[in-house]
Amino acid sequence: MSETQAHEGVGARLPRQEGVGARLPRKEDDRLMRGRGQFIADIRMTGMQDVAFVRSPLAHARIRGIHVPDDLKDRVFTAADLDGVKPIRAVSGLPGFKVSEQPVLATGKVRQVGELIAMCVADTRAEAEDMAARVELDLEELPALHDMLEARKPGAPLVHEHWGDNVFLESLVNINIEAAFDAPVKVSRTISTARQCMAPIEGRGAVIHFDHRCDQLVVHTASQMPHIVRSGLSECLQMEEGQIRIISPDVGGGFGYKAILLAEEVCLGWLAQKLRRPVRWLEDRREHLTANANCREHHYEITLYAERDGTLRGIDCEASVDSGAYSAYPFSACLEAAQVASILPGPYDFPAYRCRTWSVATNKCPILPYRGVARTGVCFALEVALDALAAELGLPPEVVRLKNLVRPEQMPFDNITNKHFDSGDYPQALHRALDAIKADTVRARQTAGERDGRRIGLGLSIYCEQAAHGTSVYSGWGIPMVPGHEQAGARLTPDGGLELRIGAHSHGQGLETTLAQVACEILGIPVARTRLVHGDTAMTPYSTGSWGSRVMVMAGGAVATACTELAERVRRIGAHMLQARLDEVRLENGRVVGPAGDVTISQVAHTWYRRPQDLPADVDPHGLEVTAGYKPQRDSGTFSYAAHAVVVAVDPELGEVEILDYVIVEDGGTLVNPMVVDGQILGGLAQGIGTALYEEMPFDTSGQPLASTLADYLLPGAPEVPLPFIDHMATPSPYTAFGVKGIGEGGAIAPPAAIANAINDALRPVGAEMLRAPVTPRRIVESVLKARANRRSAA
Amino acid sequence: MSEPVQFQVNGTAHAFALPRSTPLIYVLRNDLGLNGPKFGCGLGECGACTVLMDGVAARSCVTTLGTAEGRAITTLEGLGTLAAPHPVQAAFIAEQAAQCGYCLNGMIMTTVAFLARTPSPTEDEVRAALRYNLCRCGTHVEILRAVMRAAHGEASE
Repeated sequence: MSETQAHEGVGARLPRQEGVGARLPRKEDDRLMRGRGQFIADIRMTGMQDVAFVRSPLAHARIRGIHVPDDLKDRVFTAADLDGVKPIRAVSGLPGFKVSEQPVLATGKVRQVGELIAMCVADTRAEAEDMAARVELDLEELPALHDMLEARKPGAPLVHEHWGDNVFLESLVNINIEAAFDAPVKVSRTISTARQCMAPIEGRGAVIHFDHRCDQLVVHTASQMPHIVRSGLSECLQMEEGQIRIISPDVGGGFGYKAILLAEEVCLGWLAQKLRRPVRWLEDRREHLTANANCREHHYEITLYAERDGTLRGIDCEASVDSGAYSAYPFSACLEAAQVASILPGPYDFPAYRCRTWSVATNKCPILPYRGVARTGVCFALEVALDALAAELGLPPEVVRLKNLVRPEQMPFDNITNKHFDSGDYPQALHRALDAIKADTVRARQTAGERDGRRIGLGLSIYCEQAAHGTSVYSGWGIPMVPGHEQAGARLTPDGGLELRIGAHSHGQGLETTLAQVACEILGIPVARTRLVHGDTAMTPYSTGSWGSRVMVMAGGAVATACTELAERVRRIGAHMLQARLDEVRLENGRVVGPAGDVTISQVAHTWYRRPQDLPADVDPHGLEVTAGYKPQRDSGTFSYAAHAVVVAVDPELGEVEILDYVIVEDGGTLVNPMVVDGQILGGLAQGIGTALYEEMPFDTSGQPLASTLADYLLPGAPEVPLPFIDHMATPSPYTAFGVKGIGEGGAIAPPAAIANAINDALRPVGAEMLRAPVTPRRIVESVLKARANRRSAA
Repeated sequence: MSEPVQFQVNGTAHAFALPRSTPLIYVLRNDLGLNGPKFGCGLGECGACTVLMDGVAARSCVTTLGTAEGRAITTLEGLGTLAAPHPVQAAFIAEQAAQCGYCLNGMIMTTVAFLARTPSPTEDEVRAALRYNLCRCGTHVEILRAVMRAAHGEASE
């Protein structure tokens, strides 16, 4: 037995037990638990300088002057210094889209609090901040837009004067809505969700230097999409892409926040070349909360048309999304609202639909797609409205849903907006959730009443989630990034280990483990002997990155494709080594097995690399390294789905909400690592609870953000996050490798709707209805007091 | 220059002639190159920078160098060895309590200090102890299991 074979004994499991479906511990955890990860702030370079920015204190103002003290002139830079740097332009090809140009350092006007005005560089951040404090701004304050509905009105102040209004994009979908107008029941609601911050505990940051040997700008940055950042930097700095290398190290949470080209990255890219030394900027919490991208501020005017038995006749909706001052690169200012129009119908089948959307410019920071993107808001609007309809009809909420959910026998199903639901049994998910939460028992308890005066409520919500959507979907939006074939590299090392290369990046999802499991499924190489190379444009194939719950589907499929080709090459060399015909040998548990013996993959690799003299003259010259591209059989996306059921206790006097029980029945297709999937669902639930009950970035009328610390912007903590019951259905996707579906975002989508519905169920006898997220104690108390006053005046 | 401030970090004596108001996290990270404590909020609100000061959990972003004078500081690096992780670290690894891993320094350090005071906690006590350590990936449930495992041996479901 060779030494390399001995390596394969690492770990007690047989390789097959480490393949797709194994509950395998993550390879990443060991280094993370010991403080041996490497995050952006852990990178230190000799001679490195720190950067602090002078940011706009006003939401909207004309810049009359920027005064830099004379002694700081060579260490403070403004837009006037940035020769040859282009503004950030994130254009959508949708007709009518208005382009915003975001100067990386402000010129002319500032359009949001926190907009970059000047860049100060010093030996330490503290000194750089002291310099920033000495820069004087002469600003002429302009009326600021803090309310998107006001911003849409004629005569409102203009964020971008030459537009003539404040609308990035208006869209309209109308599918025969007139046919629904004669429905016997019509229910209308105004529903909205707060502006939120994604709030990864690690902020963004960049460490950039120029490598003269390689003639390359080397950009370390905490990013979910290194290759996209490279394209964006190349456009703004007017450098060839080959002159830029992006390295994204361990990333301390993303959730969408690190899927953007930053003005700070562009500034530092210029500065590193100007100073010829490494420069660093690390975002602090205040910058995160007040200056950089927010997410998810939606406003819906929604009307449901229905029969008296709950059958939906149509949905009519007007939706506005507050996109902030600038269009963020690469997702643009209109992705969110465009998504609202296309996915509002949810998992339901009904005949008439109209949705008009506005992506509105205001004097706030740009928005980025946060976990679930528009789905969380859409699910909140539709599911809360459906409960209002159920109440109007005097039906239990599940009855209205079951009347309208797409049925399993309809799958695959093209819905009213041409979304192609690939597979699944939505009604069963709902039934399972009702059983698991013991709906009958809860309702009996509800009738009996609580001794402590609190009220019990049961809430449901169900959604389906398009994930890993590809070329056919994104080309229609015409934004700077359209995903094509996802590529992966698979290379056997001379000692029989495996290196995988992907262009997407992990920010906590455990890809180093799960992609190794995919490879193991095909090659039988133990997970411990597989390394994932990612987060470096110099070492990985191009990818649009990690977003849209796509990596397991897309990079997983690409790894599978590459490993399948690699397996075939191994088999050919193995057949030669075994003196057998190709059709006589098979790859099994990491060995090529023939009629009269076997060889290990390690022996095959050893022969290819170290003993080529043993190979025949006509051996396949491509060797043991494969780069393969992958698309699912349909690129319209996988459709995972889930039903959430929650029981809450609400104190109508204090407005406090306690979650008593939580059930999630989800279908993510084939699960590569159920433990990792559970982690994603639990994490999504925690964020969904934040959206439902706590998180809000408020603004005053002058456009000042009012939550600047984590004492103002409330994240759920250990006491607020319950242990849910999770039930997996696992209907494989018919279109993807192994039947995998995207699952990363889903956990965050349903909780706000389910929890609000539970609260409304509890408060219905009081006459209060909560239609805005987060449902805070104050909103509950106000709503209860209003309902009581209404009843008194009616009586 | 300021009078040197003397203190111990992970068993080694150090002296820094820096302003006494310097946040401890800067000294640990920038001057000692210790990456365990993480900068999260700078205001003592998230807990990612937690270290032990004479065995008590302290937030190094709002602890000044002067406060650390004469004390023994332990960071995540000083908890276990490469071969033998601290039992709390081992429990966190066993329960797969990480996603991105950024908050975990604080979770682990807070847990070490908490279990020293409360060796046999209930779940509610654990939740309360970790209330002000924020995790945005939402690994609270796994962390709860890890703390219970560290306290009681095997995990309690």
